Amino acid sequence: MLRSVLPGLLTVILFFAGWEGAVRFFAIREFILPAPSVVASSAWAIWPTLLNHTLTTLTTVMLGFGASVLVSLPLAMLIASSPLISAAVYPVLVITQSIPKVALAPILIIALGANEVPRVIVTFLVAFFPLVVAAVAGMLATPPELIELGRACRAGILQQMLRIRLPFAVPFIFGGLKVAAALSVVGAVVAEFVGADAGLGYLIQTSMAFFRTPLAFAAVVALALMGMVLFVVVGLVERWLFPWSSGATPAGASS
Amino acid sequence: MIALEAVGKVFAGRDGSRVVALEGVSLDVAAGEFVAIVGASGCGKSTLLRLVAGLVPVTSGAVRVAGETVRAPTDATAMVFQAPTLLPWANVLRNVTFPLRLMGRAGGDTEARARSLLAKAGLAGFETKLPSELSGGMQQRVAICRALLQQPRVLLMDEPFGALDALTREEMSLELLRIWRETGAAVLFVTHSISEAVLLADRVVVMSPRPGRVADIVDIALPRPRSFEQEGEPAFHAAAQRIRRTIYQRLPDAA
Repeated sequence: MLRSVLPGLLTVILFFAGWEGAVRFFAIREFILPAPSVVASSAWAIWPTLLNHTLTTLTTVMLGFGASVLVSLPLAMLIASSPLISAAVYPVLVITQSIPKVALAPILIIALGANEVPRVIVTFLVAFFPLVVAAVAGMLATPPELIELGRACRAGILQQMLRIRLPFAVPFIFGGLKVAAALSVVGAVVAEFVGADAGLGYLIQTSMAFFRTPLAFAAVVALALMGMVLFVVVGLVERWLFPWSSGATPAGASS
Repeated sequence: MIALEAVGKVFAGRDGSRVVALEGVSLDVAAGEFVAIVGASGCGKSTLLRLVAGLVPVTSGAVRVAGETVRAPTDATAMVFQAPTLLPWANVLRNVTFPLRLMGRAGGDTEARARSLLAKAGLAGFETKLPSELSGGMQQRVAICRALLQQPRVLLMDEPFGALDALTREEMSLELLRIWRETGAAVLFVTHSISEAVLLADRVVVMSPRPGRVADIVDIALPRPRSFEQEGEPAFHAAAQRIRRTIYQRLPDAA
């Protein structure tokens, strides 16, 4: 475990050490690029505030992420169940994905009010597409013999979906969940940039308005940590609930 | 047990053309009889099995299993595919009981029967292993147990040993005979191997390709229980030679 983590850890330490050294050596001014030590101390000075903003963002992230899971899986089953539905639904999905969420956020806030709902919707919109794509790919990758086995057992389309295709897609779905977890953090911050009175995105904007760059960096670090923790948690949940899935690449799952 | 009456099967090709997979195939298989089907690729062997399984409808003629015309999959038939097609997320025991659970036919004795079948197939102690922890031969044994647990009156096997190495294949073919004799099921066994067909079957159906027809039916007059020693007997050679000649005389010279 330690052996596998060590090289990455070393790289990160070296990166921050280089950063710290460069800022000191070139005497870069704080509002342009603060040294990691300054970022850390300014974060420490206001840690309760930082924590509050982090929790606010985390709430948006979890709501948006949860909504994307709840919508994606049934939608993926619908798409995978029939080429006709797939042909009808996929173009709409691609259109929603082609709209930049940053552009959509202010419109949603006007329409739905300056509250949690538009932020959750933006987060959801960013996160759900990779999840749908991954889940559909997994369901369609189910070996035809497994489907035949289901048919030979007179399984209906719903049984085929729930008892064969969905479980088969689990490794794929977790691949999608990892991407979606990271993207929901992006979505939440984008929404907070546009309209929020709390959250890490809001903190970055207000900090920069007053050239309090170290604080903005602290918020960025908090966001990075949040994304990493979510990613790891998704991996742990996979290993805990679906031990047969983790580690196995989706392609190898059928052999 | 199985009655094929002038069965024909036509597929629509991608370009709208008609592909005749089977034409005028008539065959009767008695209860408890082991019939092997050999023929070059594309002679419709697998299609024939799927017609009997009720997975694919006939274009002309009729398929009867146990006196009833087959229109959809029934309890009377069970199928073993070339690939083990086990559920990667379920352990050996749950894989074996999966069809019965899917069909709502699992009863109080299902698990006990599954365990005793697995023991007969040399898989005692592997009940809680995942398919990925088993060798290819063991996985195929699980697949055969899964089919036999359904207590089919007709067992359909589509090149069940085709993906195994030569040694495992020989070992498993005699094992299959040993287990099959206790079930009394009629077997339709598709294979590419002439010696496998002669070693296992009461009768060998030789099919010719494009369109798939019955070219010859060879009675194998070797006593049971069969063993590899019989491969040296004149009757074995005569049957194998007759099958080989039927197959190759119908292929173009270039092949």
